[in-house]
Amino acid sequence: MKKLLQSLFLLMLFAVSAIAQERTVTGTVKSSEDGTPLPGVTVKIKGARTGAITNASGVFSIQVSSGAVLVFSSVGYEGTEASVGNKTNVNVTLRTDAQSLDEVTVQVPYGTVKKTSFTGSESTVNATTLRRQQVTSVTRALEGLVPGIVVTNGGGQPGSGASILIRGVGSVNASSAPLYVLDGAVYNGSIASLSMDDIESVTVLKDAAAAALYGSRGANGVIMLKSKQGRKGTPQVNANLRTGWSTRGIPEYDRLGSKDYYEMMWEATRNRLQLASGQTRAVAGQNASNVLTGANGLVYNAYNVPGNTLVDPTTGKLNPNAQLLWEDNWSDVLFQTGKRQDFNLNISGASDKTDYYVSMGYLKEEGTAKFTDYERYNIRLNLNSQVRNWLKAGVSMDGALTDQANNVATGTATTNPFYYSRMMGPIYPVYQRNLTTGAYIVDPATGQNALDYGKANQMGLRPYAPNSNLLGTLPLDDRSTKPFNINANTYLEATFLKDFKLRSTLASTYYDAYATTFQNSLFGDADNVAGRSTKQMNRQFTYTFNQVLTWNKSFGDHNLTVLAGHENYFFRQNVLSATRTGFPFPGTSELAPAATPEASTSYQYDHRIEAYFSRVDYNFQNKYFVSGSFRTDGGSRFADGHKWGQFYSASAAWRLSQENFLKSATWINELKLKASYGEQGNEDLGTNYYPTLSLYQLGNNNVNAPGALINSLANPDLVWEKSKNANIGVDFAMFNNRLSGTVEVYNRVSDNLLFPVPLPLSTGISTITQNIGTLYNRGIDVSLGYSPVRTSNFEWRVDLNLTHFKNKITKLPQEELISGTKKLMVGKSIYDFWIKEYAGVDPANGDALYYQDKLDAAGKPTGERITINNINNASFYYKGTSLPNITGGLTNTFTYKEFDLSFLFTGQQGGKFYDGNYAGLMHVGSYGTAWSTDILNRWTTPGQVTDVPRVQNALATQSGVSTRFLYNASFVNLKNASIGYRMPKRWATTLGIQGARIFGTVDNAKLWTFDGPKGMDPQRSITGVSDYTYPIYRTFTLGLNVNL
Amino acid sequence: MKNNFKKFGFLLAGVLAVSSCKKEYLETLPTADVSGETVFATTKGAQVALEGTYRMMYTSYTNHGNFGQKSYEIVSDLMGTDIVLHAQGYGWFNTDYQYTANASAADAGRSERIWYYYYTLINNANRIIANIDNATGTPAEREDIKGQALAIRAHSYFYLVNFFQQTYKGNETKPGVPLYTTPTSVGNPRGTVQQDYTQILADLKQAETLLTGKAQTVKSHISVAVTQGIIARVALQMEDYATARDYAKKARGTIAPMSGATYNAGFSSTTNTEWMWGLTVNIEQATIYASYFSHMDNTASGYAGLGSYKKITKALYDQIPATDARKTAFKAPGTTGLPDYTILKFRKPSASTWDGDYLLMRAGEMYLIEAEASARLGDDANALAVLTTLVKTKNPSYAFAGTGTALLNEILLQRRIELYGEGFQLNDIKRLKQGLVRPTGAGNHGAPNFDAVTYTLPDASPKFLMRIPQSEINTNKSFTAADQNP
Repeated sequence: MKKLLQSLFLLMLFAVSAIAQERTVTGTVKSSEDGTPLPGVTVKIKGARTGAITNASGVFSIQVSSGAVLVFSSVGYEGTEASVGNKTNVNVTLRTDAQSLDEVTVQVPYGTVKKTSFTGSESTVNATTLRRQQVTSVTRALEGLVPGIVVTNGGGQPGSGASILIRGVGSVNASSAPLYVLDGAVYNGSIASLSMDDIESVTVLKDAAAAALYGSRGANGVIMLKSKQGRKGTPQVNANLRTGWSTRGIPEYDRLGSKDYYEMMWEATRNRLQLASGQTRAVAGQNASNVLTGANGLVYNAYNVPGNTLVDPTTGKLNPNAQLLWEDNWSDVLFQTGKRQDFNLNISGASDKTDYYVSMGYLKEEGTAKFTDYERYNIRLNLNSQVRNWLKAGVSMDGALTDQANNVATGTATTNPFYYSRMMGPIYPVYQRNLTTGAYIVDPATGQNALDYGKANQMGLRPYAPNSNLLGTLPLDDRSTKPFNINANTYLEATFLKDFKLRSTLASTYYDAYATTFQNSLFGDADNVAGRSTKQMNRQFTYTFNQVLTWNKSFGDHNLTVLAGHENYFFRQNVLSATRTGFPFPGTSELAPAATPEASTSYQYDHRIEAYFSRVDYNFQNKYFVSGSFRTDGGSRFADGHKWGQFYSASAAWRLSQENFLKSATWINELKLKASYGEQGNEDLGTNYYPTLSLYQLGNNNVNAPGALINSLANPDLVWEKSKNANIGVDFAMFNNRLSGTVEVYNRVSDNLLFPVPLPLSTGISTITQNIGTLYNRGIDVSLGYSPVRTSNFEWRVDLNLTHFKNKITKLPQEELISGTKKLMVGKSIYDFWIKEYAGVDPANGDALYYQDKLDAAGKPTGERITINNINNASFYYKGTSLPNITGGLTNTFTYKEFDLSFLFTGQQGGKFYDGNYAGLMHVGSYGTAWSTDILNRWTTPGQVTDVPRVQNALATQSGVSTRFLYNASFVNLKNASIGYRMPKRWATTLGIQGARIFGTVDNAKLWTFDGPKGMDPQRSITGVSDYTYPIYRTFTLGLNVNL
Repeated sequence: MKNNFKKFGFLLAGVLAVSSCKKEYLETLPTADVSGETVFATTKGAQVALEGTYRMMYTSYTNHGNFGQKSYEIVSDLMGTDIVLHAQGYGWFNTDYQYTANASAADAGRSERIWYYYYTLINNANRIIANIDNATGTPAEREDIKGQALAIRAHSYFYLVNFFQQTYKGNETKPGVPLYTTPTSVGNPRGTVQQDYTQILADLKQAETLLTGKAQTVKSHISVAVTQGIIARVALQMEDYATARDYAKKARGTIAPMSGATYNAGFSSTTNTEWMWGLTVNIEQATIYASYFSHMDNTASGYAGLGSYKKITKALYDQIPATDARKTAFKAPGTTGLPDYTILKFRKPSASTWDGDYLLMRAGEMYLIEAEASARLGDDANALAVLTTLVKTKNPSYAFAGTGTALLNEILLQRRIELYGEGFQLNDIKRLKQGLVRPTGAGNHGAPNFDAVTYTLPDASPKFLMRIPQSEINTNKSFTAADQNP
């Protein structure tokens, strides 16, 4: 810094004395992107040799004669020109030159390379793009920005992340999730613990050339996260203040109100009594009226007329004199508009030898369900120093304290407010009422309206979830996880013998989650044991230690880089938990006061990998590139003799744009062909760390005698699952870089699939892990960027990416494998639905009909089908895959002077989704359970044509999983819309700050689906089935970024 | 440069020293599991495998409607004539009561869970039987462990073949359930009912020999007497009345029937001297809502107390004399509190904890087997004497004096009363070949109680059978779709 100023000063002095007759022009050069001053910009007079460089504040001063034209240039920015005229002050802004490929580097395993010389497949998203989205986990920001990935949202629990698949589904049983790498080290800590403000870029590595050096675990692609580093220039002090509101991103299903509910339930009862019990229609109708609100009916009568006169026994219509006494909305009391606050302060800078980046942040995200939230405090320090001219050292540390409160939204448990409020019949109130007047009943102890738990001594024994009231129990219960996540990453880098570099990195992650599951002592599930509390410590310690030697040499036109290294990976997980019951007083979930021990356990998992690796990169004249890598990994999951797996890649690229025959085609800025092939490994069987051993599971104790049960069969021959990955692509930029893009086709073959081969249940063990099976993912990824308008004041940029892939099984351990709603078979995808086919409703009697194959004497289908009304005997059919045909994203960005506006649309075409949530609301008449409004279309009269069968309690043989609830999953989502305004420099100067920007965004603004009921979330899971978890939320954010 | 080189040398040496790993680096072992070799090295280890197998009999798997042996005994009784379901509650066992749960072959359905449960026990027993002979220990220890494993295997096949096929007599050549006597991962065909029973009896006879002279240290372990009791149970089902009579008598030995007071003490403690075999369930190992007492103790705040009360039919209740202490095992009609006829027989010991022991066999059953077998063999005198001994302890004024069919019917009635809710109904209905006839009307099945849907079934109706799990048909190469039950 000092040196720079000195030279500038000398330069100016020289200029002033030498060309005194010319006048001085001064000015400031700023970035068009965020208005920050740009230091180090070269300012030249066109046609002359003289020039200047902007100082740390972006200010330059140069001697010119009238009529001169100044030429500004800087690395990473598009050059521009400005004529001086008579002005003495010339201010310019420089646009980030995303297309100047020559200067862009790509993060690759154990280093970085220039994008132009990279032979593999990658996509990078930088901070500018990421920061538009107000999300907590970076995994939620990538959808629609990176071609070749499929993102499933996994629900909206505050603090949760999305799951990402790169280039299809690569494995059946082992993980298909990509490997995460943080600042060069494999990362298995918490992604949500990383602040979005600290992330400089995200690079997705997709093919073997890119990822093979992470051979052992790169089979499903790699996501490289890079944290921000300090830069030379004025030290930056950035404050980001954001506040927002969250609402449900997916609407609730429409459900029947009280009147319709009673009428429909009467009809279901009448039909049961008539058709199953053999009563005449008239008698059945009368009996249905009689029992409707009885102990074995709906129990509750929400109207002011006697229960047996509530519904007319002949017409089935509600008594016209009946007036509603209550109708509470459970959603209103269990859900809320969540507030979101996200504050971050970061300070960064660099001197000649040392750079630093320090940040701290606070985030609090309230859920759309009451009592759920996520809170995070995080800090980061990145520091690099050239301590000797041959030795560089650095540290990168970050820590996060987080608290995820009330992690309750899973499954059909009574504690899940989404399931509970959706499935609760409309006639069941939140608060107890006088059965005659409907007046609230006051709890004498509290003076508040008493909650209705649906107990016999209250308003009656509620048929839906008796003895529960989430408004009462959730605030008293505690189901929280408090993870503490710290990463410490240090390195030493020595340069020697001119071209050699040795770098040793020690990266460690310590994750410690303290979880509480407390059921309160007063109400609900644990009132009978005076409260139950489970405390669990889950501690995970990981370190990666590597040593990498690099030799970089150029011989004339030949450039060579050779890398060799060794790495250890160590993972240890310790889990400890204990449960006690019998709390003397409410108000604490701690175990000390609880009288009765229920259970306690602890265990440890170990996982280790050791690897040796090498890579050679060679290019000739930066025109022809070849690269090869080799890695061998030893993994602790495998038995002796099979521990070590060998992985490699080979790739080449040809920059046609560097060839003389294309030099004349000036409209081509960059044109590169590339191809790669390689093999990577996969051994990620989750917590199955010992898949080769036949094990007895301990802890199955019989009172005080230790006990064990056989749990797995031995397979010492298990080897690494392999991914054979071929990629061919073209990178291009043309028309003065206004159009750029990448098109790639790939074939990714997963072989030796680590497969849980199903065994006959009668052998007593349901699966054995074997290397059997092959599948491929073949596809095409396209990304295009185009600037239709690009003037100095206005720019419009369009970015489009599209992905299509086909997943196909080519080899299986047995002819077919059925699991849930899917069947695996050679020639089919791994998520092909195998379900019964709904044939609609029999107009004669309202039965639900299903198809059944006619069989020949040998038991084979003849091709002919009949329709039957017993789903248990229906045949299964392939009914399409849950995998999308095309996924993609479209970003439009508009910049006008200080304003910027952008829209990100994501979408999917094709794929099937089975909506079990909706199926649950279309039951045949389960007392107490809510009904979808679509049930009003049920069959009622002979001859009626409808697709909803008649309602009839306890008709078990006519409903089940079938194509009736299978829908097209195509959707378009306006995932993000944002508008921003940058404060003009002169205002900032007046305020004494460097700059400021205000913005507003909407995330998950609007989802359009084209099939299925309202309420369906087609992005819930890659397997295309619904669950009852937290729906995603829509967030409105207002933000202020100040550069002090 | 030279200096740098030196430095580099140190660095490289340091790096290599730290990083060169020993071979053991890649050797990791689990902490919560242990290899089969370790387990079966000694009889002490084999005992661990045996205890785990017993534990499985009261462990909850999959959901709150599956908790080992007792859950399937509830299924057996709810598919019978004598338990009325008051209301749906949380829905557990509703569809068993309606005869639709057993009509599904789907994963996690009733048929599939029963199949899974018994075959997992069988596999664990098979591994003990296959390895115990080479375990270090005394011959007596080896015999004790092997005998128990054989009895567990036989007991499991007995329940399997009865859930998945009609009764033995008259169906000997019908498809049975696949037999496995050694650990394997290859599926076997269904075989025949006769083959299953042949294996069951062979195992039990061998177990009887091995267990003779061995002490039963805890009630959960199978003793020679329990083995003989199982033989009596099997023989009764096979209508081999001589064996049934002799073994029932041998099994009970000198155990006297419990008093009326003990009968009404809750059926939840292995300390009951009439219990021959029972699982001790402590607080830690109790499965809370997914437990027998959650579903059967109507006085507790489990699922039964949350609406799905289990009740005796008025028809059977009215046949219990007022002087019989067993009548107080049910809520008398017209009194306040729980619904009329609610079962009070099964109550966990403490309202604030979930520990309550599980009964698997008691002498009372042996008295009834002996009485029934004697009556069927024409020995009315012994039948009446044994029956009177049993009943009189609860009803001092009991003085039945009939003979022939009247006596047999009285024994069968007393069997329904005495063993009420203890899991024998479905097997008895199949065995007695009179079909399902559920009494209806006030206090019985149907409105205003939960709709039973199925009220009558003819004898040998396919509706009595569990479905072969679809997953078994899918994975077992010895099976085709034609192996499915009708």
